Amino acid sequence: MSLAATQALEDRYLMRTYRRAPVDFVRGEGPLLWDADGKEYLDFLTGISVCSLGHCHPAVVAAVQEQAGRLMHVSNLFYTEPMARLAERLSESSLGGRVFFANSGTEANECAIKVARKHAHGRGIAAPEIVSFESDFHGRSYGALAATPGLARNEALGPMLPGFRAVPRNDVAALREAVGERTAAVLIEPIQGEAGIHPISDEALLAARQACDESGALLIFDEIQTGMGRTGSLWAYEQTPVRPDVLTSAKALGGGVPIGACVTGPAAADVLEPGDHGSTFAGGPVATAAALAVLDVVDDPALLRRVRELGQQLRDGLLALDGVAETRGRGLMVGVGLENGIDAQALGADLLRRGLVVNVPAPATLRLLPPLLVESSHLEQAVGLIGESLLGLSRT
Amino acid sequence: MRRKDRSATPTPLAADTAERLAAIVEAAERAAVSVIDDAERQARRQLDDAHSEAERLVGDRLAALSELTDSLIVQAEAIGEQSRQLVSSLEEARRQLEGGDEQEPADRRQLAGRPSHLSAVASVEDDRSEPAERGEQPGTPAGARLLATQMAVSGSSREEIEKRLRNGFDIEDTGSILDAILGPEE
Repeated sequence: MSLAATQALEDRYLMRTYRRAPVDFVRGEGPLLWDADGKEYLDFLTGISVCSLGHCHPAVVAAVQEQAGRLMHVSNLFYTEPMARLAERLSESSLGGRVFFANSGTEANECAIKVARKHAHGRGIAAPEIVSFESDFHGRSYGALAATPGLARNEALGPMLPGFRAVPRNDVAALREAVGERTAAVLIEPIQGEAGIHPISDEALLAARQACDESGALLIFDEIQTGMGRTGSLWAYEQTPVRPDVLTSAKALGGGVPIGACVTGPAAADVLEPGDHGSTFAGGPVATAAALAVLDVVDDPALLRRVRELGQQLRDGLLALDGVAETRGRGLMVGVGLENGIDAQALGADLLRRGLVVNVPAPATLRLLPPLLVESSHLEQAVGLIGESLLGLSRT
Repeated sequence: MRRKDRSATPTPLAADTAERLAAIVEAAERAAVSVIDDAERQARRQLDDAHSEAERLVGDRLAALSELTDSLIVQAEAIGEQSRQLVSSLEEARRQLEGGDEQEPADRRQLAGRPSHLSAVASVEDDRSEPAERGEQPGTPAGARLLATQMAVSGSSREEIEKRLRNGFDIEDTGSILDAILGPEE
Protein backbone atom coordinates (compact mmCIF):
# COMPACT_ATOMS: atom_id res chain seq x y z
CA MET A 1 0.00 0.00 0.00
CA SER A 2 1.35 3.43 -0.87
CA LEU A 3 1.77 6.23 1.66
CA ALA A 4 -1.06 8.12 0.00
CA ALA A 5 -3.40 5.15 0.30
CA THR A 6 -2.52 4.68 3.97
CA GLN A 7 -3.08 8.37 4.60
CA ALA A 8 -6.48 8.21 2.91
CA LEU A 9 -7.50 5.19 4.97
CA GLU A 10 -6.40 6.83 8.20
CA ASP A 11 -8.12 10.07 7.27
CA ARG A 12 -11.38 8.19 6.92
CA TYR A 13 -11.23 5.93 9.96
CA LEU A 14 -8.87 7.20 12.67
CA MET A 15 -9.62 9.93 15.19
CA ARG A 16 -7.61 12.97 14.28
CA THR A 17 -5.48 13.12 17.40
CA TYR A 18 -2.02 13.11 15.76
CA ARG A 19 -0.12 15.23 13.27
CA ARG A 20 2.09 12.60 11.67
CA ALA A 21 5.19 13.10 9.60
CA PRO A 22 4.66 12.00 6.00
CA VAL A 23 6.53 8.70 6.26
CA ASP A 24 5.23 5.15 6.34
CA PHE A 25 7.83 3.00 8.11
CA VAL A 26 7.72 -0.68 7.30
CA ARG A 27 10.90 -2.18 8.75
CA GLY A 28 13.53 -1.54 11.39
CA GLU A 29 16.82 -3.06 12.45
CA GLY A 30 19.13 -1.67 15.11
CA PRO A 31 19.40 2.11 14.62
CA LEU A 32 17.94 2.00 11.11
CA LEU A 33 14.43 2.30 9.68
CA TRP A 34 13.14 1.82 6.14
CA ASP A 35 10.03 3.39 4.65
CA ALA A 36 7.63 1.82 2.16
CA ASP A 37 9.75 3.09 -0.73
CA GLY A 38 12.87 1.42 0.64
CA LYS A 39 14.51 4.66 1.82
CA GLU A 40 16.83 4.19 4.81
CA TYR A 41 16.70 6.40 7.91
CA LEU A 42 18.94 6.75 10.94
CA ASP A 43 16.58 6.71 13.90
CA PHE A 44 17.52 9.15 16.66
CA LEU A 45 14.08 9.08 18.24
CA THR A 46 13.54 5.29 18.72
CA GLY A 47 9.78 5.62 19.00
CA ILE A 48 10.24 8.26 21.75
CA SER A 49 12.81 6.19 23.62
CA VAL A 50 10.79 2.97 23.46
CA CYS A 51 13.11 0.96 21.21
CA SER A 52 16.16 1.96 23.19
CA LEU A 53 18.01 -1.23 22.21
CA GLY A 54 17.34 -0.40 18.57
CA HIS A 55 14.67 -1.91 16.39
CA CYS A 56 13.94 -5.63 16.62
CA HIS A 57 16.78 -6.42 19.03
CA PRO A 58 17.36 -10.19 18.66
CA ALA A 59 17.12 -10.90 22.38
CA VAL A 60 13.78 -9.10 22.68
CA VAL A 61 12.41 -10.68 19.51
CA ALA A 62 13.44 -14.14 20.72
CA ALA A 63 11.89 -13.59 24.16
CA VAL A 64 8.61 -12.41 22.65
CA GLN A 65 8.49 -15.24 20.13
CA GLU A 66 9.28 -17.88 22.71
CA GLN A 67 6.75 -16.59 25.24
CA ALA A 68 4.05 -15.94 22.61
CA GLY A 69 4.38 -19.53 21.50
CA ARG A 70 3.98 -20.83 25.03
CA LEU A 71 1.50 -18.59 26.88
CA MET A 72 0.24 -15.12 25.99
CA HIS A 73 -2.36 -14.18 28.58
CA VAL A 74 -4.20 -15.53 31.58
CA SER A 75 -5.09 -12.25 33.45
CA ASN A 76 -4.04 -11.22 36.92
CA LEU A 77 -6.27 -13.79 38.54
CA PHE A 78 -3.37 -16.25 38.32
CA TYR A 79 0.36 -16.42 38.90
CA THR A 80 2.81 -16.15 36.00
CA GLU A 81 6.54 -16.54 36.44
CA PRO A 82 7.82 -13.77 34.10
CA MET A 83 5.80 -11.15 35.99
CA ALA A 84 7.16 -12.23 39.37
CA ARG A 85 10.73 -12.36 38.04
CA LEU A 86 10.43 -8.90 36.47
CA ALA A 87 9.04 -7.45 39.69
CA GLU A 88 12.05 -8.83 41.54
CA ARG A 89 14.47 -7.36 38.98
CA LEU A 90 12.82 -3.91 39.08
CA SER A 91 12.60 -3.76 42.84
CA GLU A 92 16.11 -5.05 43.49
CA SER A 93 17.59 -2.67 40.93
CA SER A 94 15.89 0.41 42.38
CA LEU A 95 13.89 1.22 45.48
CA GLY A 96 13.49 -2.21 47.06
CA GLY A 97 9.73 -2.16 47.60
CA ARG A 98 6.87 -3.58 45.57
CA VAL A 99 5.81 -3.27 41.93
CA PHE A 100 2.49 -2.74 40.21
CA PHE A 101 2.48 -3.47 36.48
CA ALA A 102 0.58 -1.36 33.97
CA ASN A 103 0.31 -1.17 30.22
CA SER A 104 1.85 2.26 29.71
CA GLY A 105 3.61 5.14 31.43
CA THR A 106 0.37 6.99 31.92
CA GLU A 107 -1.12 4.02 33.72
CA ALA A 108 2.01 3.63 35.83
CA ASN A 109 1.57 7.25 36.92
CA GLU A 110 -2.11 6.62 37.66
CA CYS A 111 -0.98 3.92 40.06
CA ALA A 112 1.57 6.26 41.64
CA ILE A 113 -1.13 8.91 42.12
CA LYS A 114 -3.36 6.34 43.78
CA VAL A 115 -0.53 5.23 46.05
CA ALA A 116 0.15 8.85 47.01
CA ARG A 117 -3.49 9.65 47.73
CA LYS A 118 -4.07 6.53 49.81
CA HIS A 119 -0.80 7.08 51.65
CA ALA A 120 -2.01 10.61 52.45
CA HIS A 121 -5.40 9.40 53.65
CA GLY A 122 -3.51 7.05 55.93
CA ARG A 123 -1.88 10.13 57.43
CA GLY A 124 -5.29 11.72 58.02
CA ILE A 125 -5.32 14.05 55.02
CA ALA A 126 -8.88 14.32 53.73
CA ALA A 127 -8.17 16.28 50.54
CA PRO A 128 -4.68 15.36 49.46
CA GLU A 129 -2.77 17.38 46.90
CA ILE A 130 -0.09 16.45 44.41
CA VAL A 131 2.55 18.99 43.41
CA SER A 132 4.31 18.96 40.04
CA PHE A 133 6.49 21.28 38.03
CA GLU A 134 5.14 23.38 35.19
CA SER A 135 5.95 21.68 31.84
CA ASP A 136 6.09 18.26 33.47
CA PHE A 137 4.50 15.56 31.32
CA HIS A 138 2.96 12.61 33.13
CA GLY A 139 0.34 11.36 30.67
CA ARG A 140 -3.06 11.97 29.17
CA SER A 141 -5.56 10.00 31.25
CA TYR A 142 -7.39 12.22 33.72
CA GLY A 143 -5.23 11.62 36.76
CA ALA A 144 -1.94 11.90 34.90
CA LEU A 145 -3.35 14.77 32.85
CA ALA A 146 -4.17 16.72 35.99
CA ALA A 147 -0.48 16.41 36.93
CA THR A 148 0.52 17.67 33.48
CA PRO A 149 -0.11 21.41 33.81
CA GLY A 150 0.50 22.31 30.18
CA LEU A 151 -2.25 19.99 28.97
CA ALA A 152 -4.58 20.32 31.95
CA ARG A 153 -5.42 23.87 30.93
CA ASN A 154 -7.46 22.59 27.98
CA GLU A 155 -10.88 23.61 29.27
CA ALA A 156 -12.64 21.68 26.54
CA LEU A 157 -11.62 18.52 28.37
CA GLY A 158 -12.74 19.78 31.78
CA PRO A 159 -13.51 19.51 34.55
CA MET A 160 -10.10 18.28 35.60
CA LEU A 161 -9.43 16.06 38.58
CA PRO A 162 -9.02 18.24 41.68
CA GLY A 163 -6.07 18.04 44.05
CA PHE A 164 -3.19 19.00 41.80
CA ARG A 165 -1.04 22.09 41.69
CA ALA A 166 2.06 23.15 39.79
CA VAL A 167 5.03 25.38 40.46
CA PRO A 168 7.56 26.77 37.98
CA ARG A 169 10.37 24.39 37.08
CA ASN A 170 13.35 24.65 39.43
CA ASP A 171 11.64 27.34 41.55
CA VAL A 172 12.78 26.20 44.98
CA ALA A 173 10.92 28.86 46.91
CA ALA A 174 7.63 28.13 45.13
CA LEU A 175 8.11 24.43 45.70
CA ARG A 176 8.73 24.89 49.41
CA GLU A 177 5.65 27.11 49.64
CA ALA A 178 3.49 24.61 47.74
CA VAL A 179 4.38 21.54 49.79
CA GLY A 180 2.56 21.48 53.09
CA GLU A 181 0.27 19.55 55.39
CA ARG A 182 -2.11 18.57 52.56
CA THR A 183 0.57 17.37 50.20
CA ALA A 184 0.32 13.72 49.26
CA ALA A 185 3.27 13.72 46.89
CA VAL A 186 5.65 15.70 44.77
CA LEU A 187 5.47 14.08 41.33
CA ILE A 188 8.21 15.17 38.95
CA GLU A 189 10.33 14.10 36.02
CA PRO A 190 14.00 14.26 37.07
CA ILE A 191 14.67 15.37 33.49
CA GLN A 192 11.67 16.82 31.71
CA GLY A 193 11.39 15.03 28.39
CA GLU A 194 8.39 16.31 26.47
CA ALA A 195 9.25 19.86 27.49
CA GLY A 196 12.49 19.61 25.54
CA ILE A 197 14.97 17.80 27.82
CA HIS A 198 15.35 20.01 30.88
CA PRO A 199 17.14 18.45 33.88
CA ILE A 200 15.73 19.48 37.24
CA SER A 201 18.42 21.22 39.26
CA ASP A 202 20.09 19.49 42.18
CA GLU A 203 18.89 22.31 44.40
CA ALA A 204 15.26 21.79 43.36
CA LEU A 205 15.51 18.02 43.81
CA LEU A 206 17.00 18.43 47.27
CA ALA A 207 14.31 20.92 48.15
CA ALA A 208 11.62 18.51 46.97
CA ARG A 209 13.12 15.68 48.99
CA GLN A 210 13.44 17.84 52.06
CA ALA A 211 9.90 19.21 51.75
CA CYS A 212 8.53 15.69 51.40
CA ASP A 213 10.49 14.47 54.42
CA GLU A 214 9.23 17.35 56.53
CA SER A 215 5.59 16.99 55.47
CA GLY A 216 5.44 13.20 55.25
CA ALA A 217 4.62 13.35 51.53
CA LEU A 218 6.01 10.93 48.99
CA LEU A 219 8.57 11.95 46.41
CA ILE A 220 7.63 10.31 43.10
CA PHE A 221 9.95 10.28 40.12
CA ASP A 222 8.43 9.80 36.70
CA GLU A 223 11.28 7.86 35.05
CA ILE A 224 9.22 6.80 32.07
CA GLN A 225 11.57 8.51 29.64
CA THR A 226 14.70 8.81 31.79
CA GLY A 227 14.79 5.25 33.12
CA MET A 228 16.13 1.98 31.74
CA GLY A 229 19.61 3.30 30.99
CA ARG A 230 18.68 6.30 28.87
CA THR A 231 20.76 8.71 30.96
CA GLY A 232 23.73 6.39 31.48
CA SER A 233 22.54 4.84 34.74
CA LEU A 234 19.72 2.33 34.97
CA TRP A 235 17.60 5.00 36.68
CA ALA A 236 18.15 8.75 36.39
CA TYR A 237 17.80 9.27 40.14
CA GLU A 238 21.09 7.45 40.56
CA GLN A 239 22.81 10.53 39.16
CA THR A 240 20.97 12.93 41.47
CA PRO A 241 21.45 13.79 45.14
CA VAL A 242 18.09 12.29 46.13
CA ARG A 243 16.30 8.97 46.22
CA PRO A 244 12.55 8.94 45.53
CA ASP A 245 9.94 6.94 47.43
CA VAL A 246 8.22 5.79 44.25
CA LEU A 247 9.27 5.69 40.60
CA THR A 248 7.38 4.93 37.43
CA SER A 249 8.79 3.24 34.35
CA ALA A 250 7.53 2.42 30.87
CA LYS A 251 8.69 3.23 27.31
CA ALA A 252 12.04 1.42 27.03
CA LEU A 253 11.02 -1.13 29.67
CA GLY A 254 9.37 -3.37 27.07
CA GLY A 255 11.75 -2.70 24.18
CA GLY A 256 8.76 -2.04 21.94
CA VAL A 257 6.12 -4.07 23.75
CA PRO A 258 3.68 -1.95 25.81
CA ILE A 259 4.33 -2.19 29.54
CA GLY A 260 4.53 0.16 32.50
CA ALA A 261 5.51 -0.26 36.12
CA CYS A 262 5.07 1.62 39.35
CA VAL A 263 7.89 0.71 41.75
CA THR A 264 7.82 1.70 45.40
CA GLY A 265 10.36 1.91 48.13
CA PRO A 266 9.63 0.38 51.54
CA ALA A 267 7.61 3.40 52.72
CA ALA A 268 4.89 2.91 50.14
CA ALA A 269 5.19 -0.80 49.44
CA ASP A 270 2.08 -1.89 51.30
CA VAL A 271 -0.19 1.09 50.66
CA LEU A 272 -2.30 -0.55 47.97
CA GLU A 273 -4.29 -3.57 49.02
CA PRO A 274 -6.55 -6.06 47.22
CA GLY A 275 -9.32 -4.19 45.43
CA ASP A 276 -7.51 -0.85 45.33
CA HIS A 277 -6.17 -1.21 41.80
CA GLY A 278 -5.97 -3.66 38.92
CA SER A 279 -5.65 -4.27 35.21
CA THR A 280 -6.67 -7.07 32.88
CA PHE A 281 -3.66 -7.00 30.61
CA ALA A 282 -0.96 -5.57 32.83
CA GLY A 283 2.10 -7.67 33.59
CA GLY A 284 1.17 -10.26 30.98
CA PRO A 285 3.68 -12.98 30.14
CA VAL A 286 4.72 -11.61 26.75
CA ALA A 287 5.31 -8.03 27.91
CA THR A 288 7.17 -9.10 31.04
CA ALA A 289 9.29 -11.62 29.12
CA ALA A 290 10.24 -8.81 26.73
CA ALA A 291 11.10 -6.53 29.64
CA LEU A 292 13.28 -9.20 31.24
CA ALA A 293 15.17 -9.51 27.96
CA VAL A 294 15.63 -5.73 27.83
CA LEU A 295 16.91 -5.65 31.40
CA ASP A 296 19.37 -8.45 30.64
CA VAL A 297 20.97 -6.16 28.06
CA VAL A 298 20.62 -2.76 29.71
CA ASP A 299 21.49 -3.58 33.31
CA ASP A 300 25.17 -3.77 32.44
CA PRO A 301 27.73 -1.31 33.87
CA ALA A 302 29.81 -1.44 30.69
CA LEU A 303 26.83 -0.56 28.52
CA LEU A 304 25.77 2.24 30.85
CA ARG A 305 29.29 3.67 30.91
CA ARG A 306 29.30 3.61 27.11
CA VAL A 307 25.96 5.48 27.09
CA ARG A 308 27.53 8.23 29.18
CA GLU A 309 30.59 8.39 26.93
CA LEU A 310 28.57 8.41 23.70
CA GLY A 311 26.27 11.07 25.15
CA GLN A 312 29.26 13.29 25.82
CA GLN A 313 30.53 12.70 22.27
CA LEU A 314 27.12 13.60 20.84
CA ARG A 315 26.82 16.79 22.89
CA ASP A 316 30.38 17.86 22.06
CA GLY A 317 29.74 17.33 18.36
CA LEU A 318 26.47 19.24 18.43
CA LEU A 319 27.89 22.16 20.38
CA ALA A 320 30.52 22.67 17.69
CA LEU A 321 27.82 23.31 15.06
CA ASP A 322 26.80 26.77 13.91
CA GLY A 323 23.22 27.31 15.01
CA VAL A 324 23.37 25.24 18.20
CA ALA A 325 23.14 27.43 21.29
CA GLU A 326 23.25 24.71 23.95
CA THR A 327 22.74 21.04 24.66
CA ARG A 328 20.88 19.64 27.65
CA GLY A 329 20.34 16.28 29.27
CA ARG A 330 22.37 13.27 30.36
CA GLY A 331 23.63 10.21 28.60
CA LEU A 332 21.80 9.66 25.33
CA MET A 333 18.84 11.85 26.31
CA VAL A 334 19.87 15.03 24.54
CA GLY A 335 18.04 18.29 23.98
CA VAL A 336 19.47 20.69 21.43
CA GLY A 337 18.73 24.37 22.02
CA LEU A 338 18.84 26.22 18.70
CA GLU A 339 19.95 29.79 18.18
CA ASN A 340 17.32 32.47 17.68
CA GLY A 341 15.79 32.63 14.24
CA ILE A 342 16.07 28.94 13.45
CA ASP A 343 12.77 27.24 12.73
CA ALA A 344 13.00 23.98 14.64
CA GLN A 345 9.99 22.46 12.86
CA ALA A 346 11.55 23.19 9.48
CA LEU A 347 14.84 21.73 10.69
CA GLY A 348 13.14 18.55 11.88
CA ALA A 349 11.31 18.15 8.57
CA ASP A 350 14.50 18.75 6.60
CA LEU A 351 16.38 16.18 8.67
CA LEU A 352 13.67 13.63 7.98
CA ARG A 353 14.08 14.27 4.25
CA ARG A 354 17.82 13.77 4.71
CA GLY A 355 17.20 10.46 6.47
CA LEU A 356 17.57 11.37 10.16
CA VAL A 357 14.60 10.86 12.48
CA VAL A 358 14.47 13.36 15.36
CA ASN A 359 11.71 15.13 17.26
CA VAL A 360 10.82 18.77 17.88
CA PRO A 361 9.08 18.77 21.29
CA ALA A 362 9.28 22.51 21.90
CA PRO A 363 10.11 25.71 20.01
CA ALA A 364 13.80 26.02 19.14
CA THR A 365 14.50 22.53 20.45
CA LEU A 366 15.47 19.21 18.92
CA ARG A 367 15.14 16.05 21.00
CA LEU A 368 17.57 13.24 20.29
CA LEU A 369 16.95 9.80 21.79
CA PRO A 370 19.21 7.45 19.81
CA PRO A 371 19.45 3.73 20.56
CA LEU A 372 21.65 2.97 23.56
CA LEU A 373 23.61 0.52 21.37
CA VAL A 374 24.33 3.16 18.74
CA GLU A 375 27.83 3.26 17.23
CA SER A 376 30.12 6.25 17.43
CA SER A 377 29.99 6.48 13.62
CA HIS A 378 26.20 6.88 13.77
CA LEU A 379 26.64 9.84 16.10
CA GLU A 380 29.10 11.42 13.66
CA GLN A 381 26.64 10.79 10.83
CA ALA A 382 23.77 12.41 12.75
CA VAL A 383 25.84 15.43 13.78
CA GLY A 384 26.97 15.79 10.15
CA LEU A 385 23.38 15.73 8.89
CA ILE A 386 22.23 18.26 11.48
CA GLY A 387 25.15 20.51 10.59
CA GLU A 388 24.37 20.31 6.87
CA SER A 389 20.70 20.99 7.50
CA LEU A 390 21.45 23.98 9.72
CA LEU A 391 23.69 25.45 7.02
CA GLY A 392 20.98 25.01 4.39
CA LEU A 393 18.16 26.56 6.44
CA SER A 394 17.35 30.24 6.11
CA ARG A 395 17.01 32.13 9.38
CA THR A 396 14.19 34.53 10.15
CA MET B 1 14.37 -94.80 -14.65
CA ARG B 2 15.99 -96.80 -11.79
CA ARG B 3 16.88 -95.11 -8.59
CA LYS B 4 20.10 -95.76 -6.63
CA ASP B 5 19.65 -97.82 -3.38
CA ARG B 6 20.75 -95.26 -0.64
CA SER B 7 19.91 -97.64 2.25
CA ALA B 8 22.66 -100.06 1.38
CA THR B 9 25.02 -101.29 4.17
CA PRO B 10 28.20 -99.00 4.59
CA THR B 11 31.45 -100.31 3.46
CA PRO B 12 34.44 -100.70 5.93
CA LEU B 13 36.12 -97.62 4.33
CA ALA B 14 33.12 -95.48 4.97
CA ALA B 15 32.93 -96.60 8.61
CA ASP B 16 36.55 -95.65 9.14
CA THR B 17 35.97 -92.22 7.65
CA ALA B 18 32.98 -91.65 9.88
CA GLU B 19 35.00 -92.50 13.00
CA ARG B 20 37.73 -90.09 12.00
CA LEU B 21 35.22 -87.37 11.34
CA ALA B 22 33.62 -87.95 14.73
CA ALA B 23 37.04 -87.68 16.36
CA ILE B 24 37.72 -84.41 14.51
CA VAL B 25 34.36 -82.95 15.53
CA GLU B 26 34.94 -83.99 19.13
CA ALA B 27 38.39 -82.36 19.11
CA ALA B 28 36.94 -79.23 17.57
CA GLU B 29 34.23 -79.08 20.21
CA ARG B 30 36.80 -79.47 22.97
CA ALA B 31 38.85 -76.68 21.41
CA ALA B 32 35.78 -74.44 21.17
CA VAL B 33 34.90 -75.05 24.81
CA SER B 34 38.42 -74.20 25.76
CA VAL B 35 38.32 -70.95 23.74
CA ILE B 36 35.01 -70.00 25.33
CA ASP B 37 36.35 -70.75 28.79
CA ASP B 38 39.41 -68.63 28.10
CA ALA B 39 37.26 -65.76 26.80
CA GLU B 40 35.01 -65.91 29.82
CA ARG B 41 37.96 -65.94 32.19
CA GLN B 42 39.46 -62.92 30.39
CA ALA B 43 36.16 -61.07 30.45
CA ARG B 44 35.74 -61.74 34.17
CA ARG B 45 39.28 -60.54 34.78
CA GLN B 46 38.63 -57.31 32.83
CA LEU B 47 35.34 -56.81 34.61
CA ASP B 48 37.02 -57.26 37.96
CA ASP B 49 39.72 -54.78 36.93
CA ALA B 50 37.07 -52.24 35.84
CA HIS B 51 35.21 -52.68 39.13
CA SER B 52 38.40 -52.10 41.05
CA GLU B 53 39.26 -48.99 39.03
CA ALA B 54 35.74 -47.59 39.45
CA GLU B 55 35.83 -48.18 43.20
CA ARG B 56 39.20 -46.47 43.38
CA LEU B 57 37.93 -43.47 41.41
CA VAL B 58 34.76 -43.18 43.53
CA GLY B 59 36.88 -43.36 46.64
CA ASP B 60 39.17 -40.60 45.38
CA ARG B 61 36.21 -38.37 44.41
CA LEU B 62 34.50 -38.90 47.75
CA ALA B 63 37.67 -37.99 49.55
CA ALA B 64 38.04 -34.81 47.45
CA LEU B 65 34.39 -33.89 48.02
CA SER B 66 34.76 -34.42 51.71
CA GLU B 67 37.77 -32.11 51.79
CA LEU B 68 35.89 -29.49 49.75
CA THR B 69 32.85 -29.70 52.00
CA ASP B 70 35.01 -29.28 55.09
CA SER B 71 36.63 -26.25 53.48
CA LEU B 72 33.25 -24.73 52.55
CA ILE B 73 31.94 -25.25 56.06
CA VAL B 74 34.98 -23.46 57.47
CA GLN B 75 34.48 -20.57 55.03
CA ALA B 76 30.75 -20.37 55.75
CA GLU B 77 31.44 -20.24 59.47
CA ALA B 78 33.93 -17.43 58.89
CA ILE B 79 31.40 -15.48 56.78
CA GLY B 80 28.75 -16.07 59.42
CA GLU B 81 31.05 -14.68 62.09
CA GLN B 82 31.82 -11.63 59.94
CA SER B 83 28.10 -11.09 59.36
CA ARG B 84 27.42 -11.30 63.09
CA GLN B 85 30.12 -8.73 63.72
CA LEU B 86 28.72 -6.46 60.99
CA VAL B 87 25.18 -6.71 62.37
CA SER B 88 26.52 -5.96 65.82
CA SER B 89 28.36 -2.89 64.51
CA LEU B 90 25.27 -1.66 62.68
CA GLU B 91 23.14 -2.19 65.79
CA GLU B 92 25.61 -0.16 67.80
CA ALA B 93 25.57 2.58 65.16
CA ARG B 94 21.77 2.57 65.17
CA ARG B 95 21.68 2.85 68.97
CA GLN B 96 24.04 5.81 68.80
CA LEU B 97 21.93 7.50 66.12
CA GLU B 98 18.73 6.93 68.09
CA GLY B 99 20.39 8.37 71.16
CA GLY B 100 21.15 11.52 69.14
CA ASP B 101 17.51 11.86 68.09
CA GLU B 102 16.39 12.43 71.67
CA GLN B 103 17.47 16.04 71.47
CA GLU B 104 15.59 16.65 68.21
CA PRO B 105 12.30 18.53 67.83
CA ALA B 106 9.01 16.72 68.29
CA ASP B 107 7.98 16.91 64.65
CA ARG B 108 11.19 15.15 63.64
CA ARG B 109 10.53 12.40 66.16
CA GLN B 110 7.06 11.90 64.67
CA LEU B 111 8.66 11.23 61.31
CA ALA B 112 11.22 8.88 62.77
CA GLY B 113 8.87 5.92 62.46
CA ARG B 114 8.57 6.31 58.70
CA PRO B 115 10.58 3.86 56.67
CA SER B 116 13.59 5.70 55.42
CA HIS B 117 14.16 6.43 51.74
CA LEU B 118 17.82 6.30 52.64
CA SER B 119 17.82 3.03 54.47
CA ALA B 120 20.88 1.89 52.55
CA VAL B 121 22.86 4.96 53.60
CA ALA B 122 21.65 5.71 57.08
CA SER B 123 24.51 7.99 57.98
CA VAL B 124 23.79 10.15 54.98
CA GLU B 125 20.15 10.43 55.94
CA ASP B 126 21.10 11.54 59.41
CA ASP B 127 23.44 14.17 58.04
CA ARG B 128 20.92 15.24 55.46
CA SER B 129 18.22 16.15 57.91
CA GLU B 130 20.38 18.46 59.95
CA PRO B 131 20.71 21.41 57.54
CA ALA B 132 16.94 21.84 57.50
CA GLU B 133 16.92 22.15 61.27
CA ARG B 134 19.68 24.70 61.04
CA GLY B 135 17.77 26.56 58.33
CA GLU B 136 20.51 25.95 55.79
CA GLN B 137 19.94 25.83 52.05
CA PRO B 138 20.03 22.52 50.24
CA GLY B 139 23.17 21.53 48.42
CA THR B 140 24.94 20.46 51.56
CA PRO B 141 27.60 17.77 51.66
CA ALA B 142 24.96 15.23 52.71
CA GLY B 143 23.19 15.60 49.37
CA ALA B 144 26.53 15.46 47.65
CA ARG B 145 27.40 12.29 49.52
CA LEU B 146 24.15 10.63 48.49
CA LEU B 147 24.77 11.71 44.90
CA ALA B 148 28.26 10.27 45.02
CA THR B 149 27.03 7.06 46.66
CA GLN B 150 24.29 6.52 44.12
CA MET B 151 26.60 7.26 41.22
CA ALA B 152 29.21 4.88 42.59
CA VAL B 153 26.64 2.13 43.05
CA SER B 154 25.41 2.66 39.50
CA GLY B 155 28.94 2.23 38.16
CA SER B 156 30.15 5.78 37.58
CA SER B 157 33.88 6.35 37.68
CA ARG B 158 35.70 8.48 40.25
CA GLU B 159 36.26 11.13 37.59
CA GLU B 160 32.58 11.22 36.61
CA ILE B 161 31.47 11.57 40.22
CA GLU B 162 34.08 14.24 40.91
CA LYS B 163 32.97 16.26 37.88
CA ARG B 164 29.32 16.03 38.94
CA LEU B 165 30.16 17.10 42.49
CA ARG B 166 32.12 20.10 41.24
CA ASN B 167 29.41 21.15 38.79
CA GLY B 168 26.40 20.46 40.96
CA PHE B 169 27.62 21.43 44.38
CA ASP B 170 30.57 23.77 43.85
CA ILE B 171 32.66 21.49 46.03
CA GLU B 172 36.33 22.15 45.37
CA ASP B 173 37.75 19.49 47.67
CA THR B 174 35.86 16.39 46.60
CA GLY B 175 38.58 14.07 47.88
CA SER B 176 37.13 13.33 51.30
CA ILE B 177 33.71 12.41 49.91
CA LEU B 178 35.20 10.28 47.17
CA ASP B 179 37.65 8.60 49.53
CA ALA B 180 34.87 7.79 51.98
CA ILE B 181 32.79 6.11 49.31
CA LEU B 182 35.31 4.68 46.89
CA GLY B 183 38.28 4.28 49.18
CA PRO B 184 41.53 6.26 48.97
CA GLU B 185 42.94 6.83 45.52
CA GLU B 186 46.03 4.70 44.90
